[in-house]
Amino acid sequence: MIRSVMVMNTQGKPRLAKFYDFQTVEKQQELIRSVFGVLCSRAENVSNFLDAASIFGPDSSLVYKHYATLYFVLVFDSSENELAMLDLIQVFVETLDKCFKNVCELDIVFNYSKIHTILDEMIFGGQVLETSSTELVKAVEEISRLESASNSITLVPKSVSGWRNR
Amino acid sequence: MALSGMRGLSVFISDIRNCQNKEQERLRVDKELGNVRTRFKNEKGLSPYEKKKYVWKMLYIYMLGYDVDFGHMEAVSLISAPKYPEKQVGYIVTACLLNENHDFLRLAINTVRNDIIGRNETFQCLALTMVGNIGGRDFAESLAPDVQKLLISSSARPLVRKKAALCLLRLYRKNPDVVNVDGWADRMAQLLDERDLGVLTSSMSLLVALVSNNHEAYWSCLPKCVKTLERLARNQDVPQEYTYYGIPSPWLQVKTMRALQYFPTIEDPNTRRSLFEVLQRILMGTDVVKNVNKNNASHAVLFEALALVMHLDAEKEMMSQCVALLGKFIAVREPNIRYLGLENMTRMLLVTDVQDIIKRHQAQIITSLKDPDISIRRRALDLLYGMCDVTNAKDIVEEILQYLSTAEFAMREELSLKAAILAEKFAPDLSWYVDVILQLIDKAGDFVSDDIWFRVVQFVTNNEDLQPYAAAKAREYLDKPAIHETMVKVSAYLIGEFGHLLGRRPGCSPKELFSIIHEKLPTVSSSTIPILLSTYAKILMHAQPPEPELQNLIWAIFNKYESCIDAEIQQRAVEYLALSRKGAALMDILAEMPKFPERQSSLIKKAEDIEVDTAEQSAIKLRALQQTSNALVVTDQRPANGTPPVTQLSLVKVPSMSSNVDHHVADQGLSQENGTLTTVDPQPPSADLLGDLLGPLAIEGPPSADVQPQQNIVSGVEGVPNAVEATAIVPVGDQTNSVQPIGSIAERFQALCVKDSGVLYEDPYIQIGIKAEWRAHQGRLVLFLGNKNTNPLLSVQAIILPPSHLKLELSLVPETIPPRAQVQCPLEIVNLRPSRDVAVLDFSYKFGNDMVNCKLRLPAVLSKFLQPIPVSAEEFFPQWRSLSGPPLKLQEVVRGVKPMPLLGMANLFNSFRLMVSPGLDPNPNNLVASTTFYSESTRAMLCLARIETDPADRTQLRLTVASGDPTLTFELKEFIKEQLVSIPTASRAPAPAPPAPQPTSPPAAALTDDPGALLAGLL
Repeated sequence: MIRSVMVMNTQGKPRLAKFYDFQTVEKQQELIRSVFGVLCSRAENVSNFLDAASIFGPDSSLVYKHYATLYFVLVFDSSENELAMLDLIQVFVETLDKCFKNVCELDIVFNYSKIHTILDEMIFGGQVLETSSTELVKAVEEISRLESASNSITLVPKSVSGWRNR
Repeated sequence: MALSGMRGLSVFISDIRNCQNKEQERLRVDKELGNVRTRFKNEKGLSPYEKKKYVWKMLYIYMLGYDVDFGHMEAVSLISAPKYPEKQVGYIVTACLLNENHDFLRLAINTVRNDIIGRNETFQCLALTMVGNIGGRDFAESLAPDVQKLLISSSARPLVRKKAALCLLRLYRKNPDVVNVDGWADRMAQLLDERDLGVLTSSMSLLVALVSNNHEAYWSCLPKCVKTLERLARNQDVPQEYTYYGIPSPWLQVKTMRALQYFPTIEDPNTRRSLFEVLQRILMGTDVVKNVNKNNASHAVLFEALALVMHLDAEKEMMSQCVALLGKFIAVREPNIRYLGLENMTRMLLVTDVQDIIKRHQAQIITSLKDPDISIRRRALDLLYGMCDVTNAKDIVEEILQYLSTAEFAMREELSLKAAILAEKFAPDLSWYVDVILQLIDKAGDFVSDDIWFRVVQFVTNNEDLQPYAAAKAREYLDKPAIHETMVKVSAYLIGEFGHLLGRRPGCSPKELFSIIHEKLPTVSSSTIPILLSTYAKILMHAQPPEPELQNLIWAIFNKYESCIDAEIQQRAVEYLALSRKGAALMDILAEMPKFPERQSSLIKKAEDIEVDTAEQSAIKLRALQQTSNALVVTDQRPANGTPPVTQLSLVKVPSMSSNVDHHVADQGLSQENGTLTTVDPQPPSADLLGDLLGPLAIEGPPSADVQPQQNIVSGVEGVPNAVEATAIVPVGDQTNSVQPIGSIAERFQALCVKDSGVLYEDPYIQIGIKAEWRAHQGRLVLFLGNKNTNPLLSVQAIILPPSHLKLELSLVPETIPPRAQVQCPLEIVNLRPSRDVAVLDFSYKFGNDMVNCKLRLPAVLSKFLQPIPVSAEEFFPQWRSLSGPPLKLQEVVRGVKPMPLLGMANLFNSFRLMVSPGLDPNPNNLVASTTFYSESTRAMLCLARIETDPADRTQLRLTVASGDPTLTFELKEFIKEQLVSIPTASRAPAPAPPAPQPTSPPAAALTDDPGALLAGLL
């Protein structure tokens, strides 16, 4: 089971935090901080695995991927395959990229609600729900259509582009 | 394309981004929270859109780490909004903010249910998502059947059904007792025929959850899993959108192979053959390529295939192939593959026969210990630690020591601990062991705990051959310019004890030894000074003929410390000074320390200290404990003394106060050991207690029982050493009951042994129910005495005959139970020691002219003080090995076992709170179980058990039980044996004869009917 999905930037600011076992807000912050503490000291070109047991207790693993200014982190137990989880991060990011056309940190910051929607279509109660980014985009577009009734348009400025290059 | 354009939200996020510091951010957040709060208060003017906007703001604030303690109701109320956007945000935010036990969730259940059974698919999705993300008990109770219906509905779209599958999975995982999955095997098999890969992936996850609980029921799914895997591996009928970097849905492949790992074996030869063909194809057809993502995906599948091959106990040839593959992986450039290669090789160690092949890769693994990535180094260390044995210990430990000098801080502690453990476990010779530990102290003194150097001292003291060598080594280290304080301690101790053995070697005269040690004195802390003073006293004693110059030097030091503020130092200085002036007497007193006595492993001792709240928490603690105290595992293999604290490590044998303390500690250790041994014998005080209890029984007992005086004599004469014997004696003549019990008392008792509430006894007049709660070594049992009639029950008496190991306190039982009334009598139970004896309730009452008396065993059995605890292979095996042989580990071949399938046996174990860890034992015919036992004397103690069955002869098996306490091991072994030999309800059912309707049956016949007599027979 996946226990948590976290997205944080390279300064350690959380951009998305989802815990599939309920955690208090203090505990959430503590976990995010601990994870960032380890992440920020990792060199480039090392493995995507971290020793998670010291932070999340026994039977937990952590994989992360670093894209431009963001870390994507998945924490899960031994019932999941490590590399498959890493692939899932890739699917998540590819989906974001399709939804936002060259996604950047700002897209994630200002479209906070949409990120949640995408995540809910991909991971469900700690289990992998959908792995095809095509299907994901389809589902999200359907939801957008439903929403459009009460939608007013916001324009979000984009500053960074072409950041998806790890 | 903004999904939910909310201008206010964007402005707020912008503001937060523009905050220069945390303080500004807090101010801005507080302002916003205040704003939202006021808006929510006058809810009237709030449009759904505004509500939605504010709720999103709250969620954003929540993510930033601020507690949001209001607005939950608003979030929940949005769920019932008619329009999609509001409903959606209601569901999402509720799932994020509320935990499963939140009261508000109950308010929403109806709305959620209506959405799930409604016709609007998008609403169904939203509701399922929230239920799945929260997964509470209330939801499971009221929604699981609807979710199940949705999953198998032919009209629902894949989008809905895949969510239903996972929603059901979550509800089932969290509340397996509530969600009814009887008969789901066929449905699962159907679901696995699904063509849509999204639904299939979810269904496969659901299957994993179901199979992991009960694989027997799902055999029919096994061939379907193999088919699915074949379809994917051969890339047949896989749509483009599910092909990830050219690989047909790696997630589904992985999940399918995971599901297969929950079936103990694959019997059907055709299925097995096709599966191995697929696995072979995966193992051989995967190459490392340039594209990182493709690499990851293909290797995800490959590593899962490896795990499955290991699980299936493939032929040695295929296993070797796997090891070879892993050997290739640990050398590749891609760090993730290296990491997983090492990790899987460590798992491979559990497979028999391949250790030698793994050893061929030792050089490469050692290289990984220098990998730039700490994650990989850790895995390499784990693997080296796991593969170490007597043949390669020297190489591995020396590599670890070498690495220790350059390793980063975070790993040094682990490295030193592992080096120390391996050195002691697998030392080819003792001098090497001393070398290793001294090097360890030299390189990483900060991480070498006191018990590690205590152990060196113990070894050297107990091995005369080693003493000159150790002293010489210590002398060498003292020459170094700067040494760690621990090194000062250990070398000072060794020189003091054995320095004189160095004889005429250069630099080893008493004076030289003294001065080189004394050089260190200004650099050490006050905890080390007492050791140095002892060393000086010993050097002085060994200086023969006496050297006046040395004597003056040392006396001056003692003089100086006579007024030291530290009491321990002062006392030693005073005493040594006085002693050394006595001349010859000094010789006797300062003679060499005696050998250390053997002692039980201190790991187990530590395990007792675990306070447990929940099983999971205890598992965490246990693991933490193991990580730090593995070093102690070894104590039991070699003689060891009770690792005295530094201040007590005096070198002097008798008169001084400080040395008394030392011996006191040893004595205590001994007396404790005696204490635990004597617990097997009946305790005298319990006899007294029983006497007190029998007293009133004799006076107020049923008057019709003319055996009463006899009973009294019996108990008087024999002193009745324990309660169970007493009950065995009493009922023989006690046959006055004309009232017959309803149902079998023995069966009821057996049923209550595995559950916590139920009926203990029933006859036409009364029903005695029991409800119990157990917490660690304490229990609270409530007796419900229910009068079934319209007349009162009189002269009611309940007396507890407790065995010596239980402390029982029954509250007052009223003398009369009114018609149709129920009386509750709480009973407090404290478990003092491990024992299989059973408490007995002596219960009597009068109805009309009938005097009824029955003796009922109370289900406060050994297993009630057990708490199942899961252990992993990494935890189990070191523990198992550390408990070597009797009396801590007992083995017995049990014959006459009631034949049952292995699964039945596993269930039996689980019902007695011994947690079976499936797959832990590599042999599928064996079972391994773990649990924690609680009593006042043992406190929390880990117990491990292993059953080796013989598939050819199910009536016999070999049972091994291990724990840190000899009595516990014995009692638990006997307890398990009892459960295996006579299966509770099945074999005991015939024992109580059906109630004989003749009230005036002859004594012999009555004997079988009488519950008390029955009890006597059973005991």
